[in-house]
Amino acid sequence: MNALTMSTARPPPAGDDLLRIVRINEEIKRVVGVSFKINIMALNAIFLAKRAGTAARGFGVLSNELRVFSQDLRTCMEALTGLIHGCVNEVSIVLQDIRFARLLREAAELAPQSAAIAVLQRREDENEAHRQKLASLRGQLKRALEDAFQMVELGGVLAKSAKIEAAYGQSFAPSLSQVSGEFDGIVEEIRGSLESLRRSAFFTGH
Amino acid sequence: MKTTKTIFQQGNHKWVAIVRDPEKPNYLVDTNEYLVTHGGKGLLLDPGGAEIFPAVFSALSAEFDPSALAGIFASHQDPDICSSLALWLEFNPGMRCYVSWLWSSFIPHFGGTADTFVPIPDEGTDISLEGLILQAVPAHYLHSSGNFNLYDKIAKVMFSGDVGAALLPPGEDSLFVEDFDRHIRHAEGFHRRWMGSNEAKRRWCERVSQMDIDMLCPQHGAIYRGADVQRFINWFDDLQVGIVKA
Ligand SMILES: [Fe+2]
Ligand SMILES: [Fe+2]
Repeated sequence: MNALTMSTARPPPAGDDLLRIVRINEEIKRVVGVSFKINIMALNAIFLAKRAGTAARGFGVLSNELRVFSQDLRTCMEALTGLIHGCVNEVSIVLQDIRFARLLREAAELAPQSAAIAVLQRREDENEAHRQKLASLRGQLKRALEDAFQMVELGGVLAKSAKIEAAYGQSFAPSLSQVSGEFDGIVEEIRGSLESLRRSAFFTGH
Repeated sequence: MKTTKTIFQQGNHKWVAIVRDPEKPNYLVDTNEYLVTHGGKGLLLDPGGAEIFPAVFSALSAEFDPSALAGIFASHQDPDICSSLALWLEFNPGMRCYVSWLWSSFIPHFGGTADTFVPIPDEGTDISLEGLILQAVPAHYLHSSGNFNLYDKIAKVMFSGDVGAALLPPGEDSLFVEDFDRHIRHAEGFHRRWMGSNEAKRRWCERVSQMDIDMLCPQHGAIYRGADVQRFINWFDDLQVGIVKA
């Protein structure tokens, strides 16, 4: 049998970026999964509020808002996923650029009189354009992440208000406060995910 | 850096072997590249892998202007044959790549566009290099299922790709086969394991023994010349190939 072990080779800096993007993508998939859960919870909460009647009217309104929030959040995550795919594509191009530039640079050093220097220069200009495109995608992704963060702040406020409203639910108060507690827990979980995304070295550079 | 050796010359008609790189890391198989020039244009045969591009390019450009390369001949699809394609195209984007039709949509994964590739039909074709006719000779299944050798009738030189290849131990690096019996031991394992068809091998031996060849130039190892060419054909004809001890 052949035990599968990995070599200890370190990825080049652009390869690091690729790993970071993979992690960001995994985190986004988690947030999408969680926001789907909020949607179902909000639907249940709406039914519960209907049963509780006038005493839970405020809670019902908030549940509706939370449902809208979960849908908005998913739309927002889809946009982030699209940007992530764009970044993966661009990082792959940059990785290839790095390899080609290295080989052309070696050729130019070994054959300084040849056309290699001019070809290397042209290749490096193109590489620079690719790097700029990646930087712009990175900026867009960062802004989209900030938007998602703002949205989650709003979600947090909604969940906390639902907690307060639950107290007015009379005989339904215990079940309403349980539901609103779960809401709050999940919004906090998403906030945690987004916080860690914000701190990713893909944006901070270290 | 690799060295260049002119193995045939008649006016501006030349065969140049680009061989042996002392700085090449050992995990990369050693390869020979060949340049055919005629009328100021060049055809590069099996230009090699991307990682050895700097060594091949610099050796070649000491001898020939790389922008005058009209094309590349790829005997088959292996990475040691032509994964450098994209880099050569940086110097001359109009360059053509001649390769078996089997691989003409696989090799673009190494680079090139729809205009780059000239698919060679199974029966072979003639390639004209400024009026010099070079013949793509079928060598299918030896080892690749879409595989060609390239024959120059004037120079009597046959580029044989992986046929005749030898994996030489360090220290044994002469350009030509000097002692056939000693040399062929380094070719035996390669031919038994890489070559898949005794039938295809038989046909190749029949075809090639009828051709007038002074030099048989493989992509790995040393060049067979004079009587060693027929000696190799006879040896290959007797060898049982396509055998794995498993
Ligand atoms: Fe091969
Ligand atoms: Fe080979």
